[in-house]
Amino acid sequence: MHIAIDEAKCMGHGRCYGVAPTLLHDDEEGFVAERGQCWKVPDELLGEAQDAADACPEGAIELLEQAPA
Amino acid sequence: MTETQTEATSAEGAELTHRGCPVVHTDYTQETEIFGHYALLDPDREKARFLFNDTTDRGFFMLQRYDDVREGFQQHVTWTTDVRSALRPGSSNERLLPQDLNGQEHVKLRRILNQFFAPAAVRRMEQMATERCIELIEELKPEGSIDFVAEFAIRYPTDLFLALLGLPVSDGDFFLEWSEDYFNALLAGRPAEATESKKKIMDYFDQAVNDRRENPLDPDLDMVTRLVTARIDDQPIPQEDITTICLTLMLAGLDTTRSALGYIFAHLATHPEDRRAITEDPSLVPNAVEEFLRTFPLVIQAGREVQEPGEFHGLELEKGDVVWLGVAQANRDPRKFPEPDEVKLDRAGANQHLAFGGGPHRCLGMHLARLELKVVMEEWHKRIPEYQIPDGTELRERGGQLTMTSLPLEWDV
Repeated sequence: MHIAIDEAKCMGHGRCYGVAPTLLHDDEEGFVAERGQCWKVPDELLGEAQDAADACPEGAIELLEQAPA
Repeated sequence: MTETQTEATSAEGAELTHRGCPVVHTDYTQETEIFGHYALLDPDREKARFLFNDTTDRGFFMLQRYDDVREGFQQHVTWTTDVRSALRPGSSNERLLPQDLNGQEHVKLRRILNQFFAPAAVRRMEQMATERCIELIEELKPEGSIDFVAEFAIRYPTDLFLALLGLPVSDGDFFLEWSEDYFNALLAGRPAEATESKKKIMDYFDQAVNDRRENPLDPDLDMVTRLVTARIDDQPIPQEDITTICLTLMLAGLDTTRSALGYIFAHLATHPEDRRAITEDPSLVPNAVEEFLRTFPLVIQAGREVQEPGEFHGLELEKGDVVWLGVAQANRDPRKFPEPDEVKLDRAGANQHLAFGGGPHRCLGMHLARLELKVVMEEWHKRIPEYQIPDGTELRERGGQLTMTSLPLEWDV
């Protein structure tokens, strides 16, 4: 499972790193530091990844079965 | 609206449409009994996906479903805050910063302010916020009977606002009177009636900003110091813009927090099972905050002005149209939140609500607001776990931006 954070959609609500503190982190402006990135989620953090996607009010976090082409 | 702009669809003319939208006349600015506005908003949302409301000079197209409202907030290039409120699209409104900016101008100012409102910055305020909250509760506790709205819910955010500006919380004693006078006049659409209060407020801010110019603090920790030292495109931020930012923070943070606290405590006073759950297990509070923000949104709408004509899911919009982004209707949309009328303290996904808006203009103070609501719920119930609304009390709410006009509470002392 991959997680992708849409940089244009992320508006710094800060909900994702609140529910997924191991997987995601905040920058000094309160945005998720990993925005604009797409990476493979370690198995033990799949729960956090799902919580983060469900928490985003902008729909900026996507979970992908496959790495994007 | 005039007849020439609105075409009748039925022979009887009973149902009017405007550009394909049913026309409604629901007036959202009137005072009602408590929850009277949700009783209007929810049925409007179910009438049709888009409505045209003709109760203002310009009228407005209503987006009401969760998905549409969210997409509307994200449509920030073509729909701007040149109209901030669909209910008050006039040009005579108070200038607000950063709200009134759009595009890169807006981003540049937000980038200066964001760090003072990020979760990490708000955590730095938590101890002070908790201590002040306890002081105010301890002061009121022996009384056994108060108007929660007037004596606590407005005082607490006012004190924290002053602290945010690096000013003494004790200034709340006199500042509150000015801000209340000014805010009431502004909400009534008659800002000219409060020019004296506004002048006192702006002079007070002016003095605070000047003081920080002379005695700067760490610009990474102190917002006013940052504002007086920051450069945007190599230019300092003008003094009047800085005081306007202060005024905007005041207008955005005080009435709203009072309002949220009012609805939360009205619910808890009348739902002992929820009240006791929070008292017994304070770890429920953070999600409860989200659920209360979802269920009882007080900024019921945000306005936008269409800058480029275009289609939105079949709705044809022209330049200059006013759009209503129905925040309250989105939060209470059963398509998104099952049984939306029910307060479920442990509701999953409650924090996807749009009470703080979305897109680049999403509420700057959202984390501070969350902190305030959390601290009050925790500290109040440690000290006054049982309370009630006196028998026979009629609860009312102001229209436009909802707030309870009063909330009498009583408890045993």
